[in-house]
Amino acid sequence: MSAAELVVVIVKIAILLGFFLTMAAVGIWADRRQSAMVQDRVGPNRAVFHLPSMVVRGIVLLPPTLFAALAVLPAVAPLLPPWLFPAYHDLRPASAFEILTDSLQIAVLVGWVSLALLAGTVRRSGAMNAFEALFVDVDPRTIFYAGVALHAVGFAVTSSLSVDAVVPAARAASALLAVILCVAGIYTASRVPDGPIPVRLAGLVHSVADVIKLLMKEDFIPKNADRLLHGLAPMIALFPAFVTMAVLPFGSRLCVQGDPRQALTFNDLAHPAYQMGRDGICHGHGVGLQIADLNVGILYIFAMSGTGVVGAALAGWASDNKFSLLGGLRAASQMVSYEVAMGLSLVGLFLVYGGVRLSAMVEWQGENTWGIFVQPFAFFLFLTALVAETKRTPFDQPEGESEIVAGYFLEYSGMKFGMFFMGEYIELFLSSALLVTLFFGGYQLPFLHPDGVLVAFGETTLFAYKMNHVAVVLIGMVAFFGKTMLMAFVQIFFRWTLPRFRYDQVMKLGWTKLLPFSLANIMVTGVLVLAAHDAGPGVSAILKVAADATQALVALSALAALVALIVGLLEPIERKKFLASTTARFAAAAGGTKATPQQA
Amino acid sequence: MAKSIPSTPWTKPAQRQVAGKPVARPVRSVEVQAYFPEMMKGMAITMRHFFKNTKELVLGQKPDPVLEGMEEGITTISYPEEKRPYPERFRGLHRLTLRDDGSPRCVACLCCSTACPAQCISIKPAEYAEGDPRRGYERFPETFVIDELRCIFCGYCVEACPCDAIRMDTGMHPVPYDSRDQFIYEKDLLLHFTGREGERKTENPRHEPGDPTHPGLSRDHESH
Repeated sequence: MSAAELVVVIVKIAILLGFFLTMAAVGIWADRRQSAMVQDRVGPNRAVFHLPSMVVRGIVLLPPTLFAALAVLPAVAPLLPPWLFPAYHDLRPASAFEILTDSLQIAVLVGWVSLALLAGTVRRSGAMNAFEALFVDVDPRTIFYAGVALHAVGFAVTSSLSVDAVVPAARAASALLAVILCVAGIYTASRVPDGPIPVRLAGLVHSVADVIKLLMKEDFIPKNADRLLHGLAPMIALFPAFVTMAVLPFGSRLCVQGDPRQALTFNDLAHPAYQMGRDGICHGHGVGLQIADLNVGILYIFAMSGTGVVGAALAGWASDNKFSLLGGLRAASQMVSYEVAMGLSLVGLFLVYGGVRLSAMVEWQGENTWGIFVQPFAFFLFLTALVAETKRTPFDQPEGESEIVAGYFLEYSGMKFGMFFMGEYIELFLSSALLVTLFFGGYQLPFLHPDGVLVAFGETTLFAYKMNHVAVVLIGMVAFFGKTMLMAFVQIFFRWTLPRFRYDQVMKLGWTKLLPFSLANIMVTGVLVLAAHDAGPGVSAILKVAADATQALVALSALAALVALIVGLLEPIERKKFLASTTARFAAAAGGTKATPQQA
Repeated sequence: MAKSIPSTPWTKPAQRQVAGKPVARPVRSVEVQAYFPEMMKGMAITMRHFFKNTKELVLGQKPDPVLEGMEEGITTISYPEEKRPYPERFRGLHRLTLRDDGSPRCVACLCCSTACPAQCISIKPAEYAEGDPRRGYERFPETFVIDELRCIFCGYCVEACPCDAIRMDTGMHPVPYDSRDQFIYEKDLLLHFTGREGERKTENPRHEPGDPTHPGLSRDHESH
């Protein structure tokens, strides 16, 4: 193993560890925030620190200014000495086209987002000057629709430009982007009010305060507890959460230059491939974005996550508390029961994908269609088993607050409790990552191929756009982590919606429903896979078009959800005031109950 | 004639329907038993609340908990950044009202401390100096102390006061302090408090001794 390979592995571990540890903290925050939002409360947001308004202005101003400085380079490069930015000084039409498209689209995006935000602010708190007065009667949604239209027009215009016009247009577009960024940044900074600004980050600061509290709390050990096991159990519970992330593929293969038969060097890493072919075959070194590409992939995850029960059972036993013991026993029996259904529900998927190697599974989903469309029933079975396996509501029998107080971690306090808590949330995000890898295409996005965006149904190509290889890989990584967060978010929603099952119901569901259903799923899938295998080329062509249709469905629903989200965010709110009581009249005279703008 | 079984709360009477209102049992239709449709409905409800409230919290649009309390949305009042104003007739901390010349209206008649059921008011009356026009007609409180920790905020002192000298219209509640002696409010502090509108006097007229409107005895009266 060369030094470069070692560094690559360390970087990959750092990326995954960083993601999952951050997400454990963010997940705890999101869980509590969601509980509050679902119940019409504000929730935990008392922790606060104050920043001087000059610092806030600087924070607001810095990113737009930096981006503007980067964006303006192609525009000002001809004025600078040629050796400074040679690539920008003599723009080639190909890269000029890229710069033009990117700058124009980002400029339009920044433009309409800031105008919509401004319109919303003006509607809420009144206009401060003549420019803002223009927006008093503007519905922010109109600005959004205009922005989308501008995006489309801009794309059409840039695509139809002649080769001679591309270079000056690129310079103009980058200058425009820089100006828009600067104006937006400076105007936002000027709107920051004077005096110290309370920073709560929607309650995120409160989570930090909680961690500090946990670290400083007394580590209580019951008198007759098994001191060794009591201390060991949280670490054992945390262990599977850390090791299972080793086999998750979080991005497609990054192709760099060099001879694949020789060891990877740092020089190779510095030269990634510029663009890939449609087939995505790498002629240099392929750096897989996965810590270990094990051929037993998913089996390794099952084996490792199975050890999680040891921690819970040991914690229950070592605590010398009847409730803890009950919780530990429940955890053990529940995890043993659902481990079976969990494994069997995926066998149908293995039949379709033809293997248990996770990276191969994701590649299959990129070429064909996402797993949820080939095995929808298995998805629900697996999801149920997975929620039971992570011991979260509605299967949180082991902690069962209303019955056995806190279950197996009842006698834990301080950071030992924090370890159980963190382990639970890392497992939540790991299970979401597993779901994404198996059923939601991992790092794949619909119509995003190794060479760029290609919208095609069967043999008909509707739209094609070549993209940089590194950009494709980065988008894939962002897609994987984004999908993981989305799935975790859905799982948190289970927790705040579903009441807990009774213990016998949990057992009954596992053994008499999930297990037979997953066996039946294997049978049906086996028959269908054989039938599809033996059918003629006509059937496989139809299946190919159906697969592309599902991709289109995913892309369209994601787009529709995004549009609905933005329109919903920008929707103005009209409310009726009730001035029936003297309290309300006093509040109205004071300009509302809010003494200070409570930005959460 | 068949012997009837004695009816107890634990035995059902023979050949007789159980009297009483029929209790509505939960409907266990197929879609309820199938769990998933109902689960989706529940998720829709929680998601609707979540997205609406999160949007309003992040964008600072949440409904005013008092003025728009009838609207859907977050109902929390984040004390102390947000405070629900007390209603007009709320009995809050006491204040001592002032005369036109800035001295307390109180004449140290001890009506309030007599009326106080909690015995939390302590007044030490004193005579005006010789030559003062008020001397002989009224006294002034040398000390006026209210133990706000003992006070039960019944408002009897305000009712008892013949001079409109003590009021509870500050709209403030006692602050939680660290120690008990901080709850002992002295005269200067009570004089310092204002009403809701910032006023330190009252609307009611005050007739000083010597004024033609003064209803009391005059200095010329023989049997003073």
